[in-house]
Amino acid sequence: MISIVLIAPILFALILLFIKNNKLNNILPVIYAILHSCLGLCYFIKPDFIGNIQHFSLNSSNIIFYIVLSIVYFAVSIYNIGYSKNLKDNFTPKKMMHYSCMILIFVLSMTGGILSNNLGLAWIFIEATTLASAYLIYFNKTKHSIEAAWKYVFICSIGIALAFVGIILLTIATETVNSLNYADLIENASLFNRFWLNVSFVFILVGIGTKMGLAPVHFWLPDAHAEAPSPISALLSATLLNCAFLVILNVYKVMISANCLAYARTLLLVMGFLSLFVASVFLFHSKNYKRMLAYSSIENMGILAIATSLGGVAYYALIIHLIGHSLIKASFFLTGGNILELFETKRIKSVKSLILIDKKTSWLWIGSFLGICAFPPSILFISEFLIVKTFLIQKHYILCALFLFLLTIILYAMAKVVLKMVYGEKSQEKFEIAQSNLSKINYLMYIPQALMLVLAFVLGVYIPKVIDLTIMSTIIG
Amino acid sequence: MASGLIILFGLTMLYLSTTSRLMAHIRTLAFQGVLLFFICTLDFANHPWYIGVFLGIETLLVKAILVPLFLGKVIKKTRSTRDDDANIAHFYCLLISSVILFGGFMLSVVEIPSLALINPICFGIALSTIIISLWLITIKHNVLSNVIEFITMENGIFLLSLSVAKEMPVLVNIGVLLDVFIAIYILGLFVSQINKELGDMEVSHLSELKDCE
Repeated sequence: MISIVLIAPILFALILLFIKNNKLNNILPVIYAILHSCLGLCYFIKPDFIGNIQHFSLNSSNIIFYIVLSIVYFAVSIYNIGYSKNLKDNFTPKKMMHYSCMILIFVLSMTGGILSNNLGLAWIFIEATTLASAYLIYFNKTKHSIEAAWKYVFICSIGIALAFVGIILLTIATETVNSLNYADLIENASLFNRFWLNVSFVFILVGIGTKMGLAPVHFWLPDAHAEAPSPISALLSATLLNCAFLVILNVYKVMISANCLAYARTLLLVMGFLSLFVASVFLFHSKNYKRMLAYSSIENMGILAIATSLGGVAYYALIIHLIGHSLIKASFFLTGGNILELFETKRIKSVKSLILIDKKTSWLWIGSFLGICAFPPSILFISEFLIVKTFLIQKHYILCALFLFLLTIILYAMAKVVLKMVYGEKSQEKFEIAQSNLSKINYLMYIPQALMLVLAFVLGVYIPKVIDLTIMSTIIG
Repeated sequence: MASGLIILFGLTMLYLSTTSRLMAHIRTLAFQGVLLFFICTLDFANHPWYIGVFLGIETLLVKAILVPLFLGKVIKKTRSTRDDDANIAHFYCLLISSVILFGGFMLSVVEIPSLALINPICFGIALSTIIISLWLITIKHNVLSNVIEFITMENGIFLLSLSVAKEMPVLVNIGVLLDVFIAIYILGLFVSQINKELGDMEVSHLSELKDCE
């Protein structure tokens, strides 16, 4: 099954390239999304069908990341059916075909990154995500999108090159072990040269951290997320950042096995808090709602880094935060896409009285905001509560206060924007434009977000035993 | 012999940091590719034959011929010949690059037990090449210069992988090749587009996306 999941997008992309049928542009990505989800289901129902191969496996350490990718991609591919109807008005069928092809290749590279059990291979797939997604960020071909895509490719390429230096240094640290397989690395970690291991972790953290959007190497992220088409922004934020994080998490496990934990923890904690700080400062002065969502992603990546560094109960919080953030942020970006279709602007000032124009989009916007700001029963409430609890258990009172303070600023900044956009006093000109664009929003542009939000809120109240066990196995694995 | 070539490779970085002519940058890139080919050839005994052949083709064909040819075409197409607007004057560029390179040499003569598994001169020069390239990226204003420095950084990383005195996993070699492709991709897709969209190759024109209005 793994082989099928890895080969199918290439086949589908070739079919799209050669057959050139407009209907297939929407159908094939959805078929691939179903196929993708089937592999995730196999893990629970028929593990024999997974068919792990030499460098790729679906196991306890990557299953959650894979399922999150499946769900978000499925939702995005459904949303895309509605969204691409509007795109078709502005772009040629050839360009639409390129759009679908690159989405398939982008998802393939993320899937490869998640499934690979070898650090070198994971690095190659992370680099492949840059190649595939750069085209999608540049899709609108405006001056701004070329700037965003250039910054994205250039900064991420330098970051990934630095991560590659880290991998070379890691091979020096491994001394007699000539493998980059995670299992081999973890098994033999106690024999590694600690000096080189520590140096390699710095390079890998900074390099892959660039892709993950951790401050201070996050500069590409707000531009790329804001300029990409909304379904692509959702994929970038809810799945790509997770793929990069998985690599860091796996190298962190090597650091734990090599007893170099204190060093790695400090680095993650510093980058985590720096991300929260940067996000809080820029969110407070948001002028563009898509950039606001991008900074919120930086904030949440910071929270993941902090949870990783804390350990203990925070590991559980880490996994559920990852699930919650992906579901809610994807919903937020897709709903942002609806607003962009209605108002034809990303400026916060120009979007007012959304509730009078489109109630469904308004409630999705508010629901996403409540979810991302961890209002109970959002699943993020549990994760952030557990992180605070871990801070207190470990007696890091000042850090705990700082964490809560920064989160409060972010909550205030986002609440201010969201409420203004939904209930603010209407401007007649913009109101008329939005009214005239209402027909562009069809039901397929509401359902995916609604389902993801429901899932995020239901998981906040009740986590089924099978998911709970999977989360636990991810932590141990 | 190999040490002499590695030192020559390091000295090419000094030349890169003092010239503003883009064609000179490209010739230096080609020369670096040839040097890397010879360094690989002298190191042939440390690799299985297929890795040796792979590295030879990669350095000579891709780094020394294809990438410089491609860059030359882009320069002709965009009619961009010089990068005169660096933040720092050439004299200071040379001075700072020399200090970084000197640091690399010093690193190679220090005896540290942790350095047992690596070729010190190769390691020192590779590290200084990476640092000089990163520094040049920050001070240069031309998109093409930035791409050229990115490729010299990749060359430095390639040299770093050669400095490890043990058989490297095959994936590392594939990774080096992939990095070269990403550089070509950046060139092919973006450099011409940026030139078309903005009318020139000035990086400062790519700064319209801001958080403030």
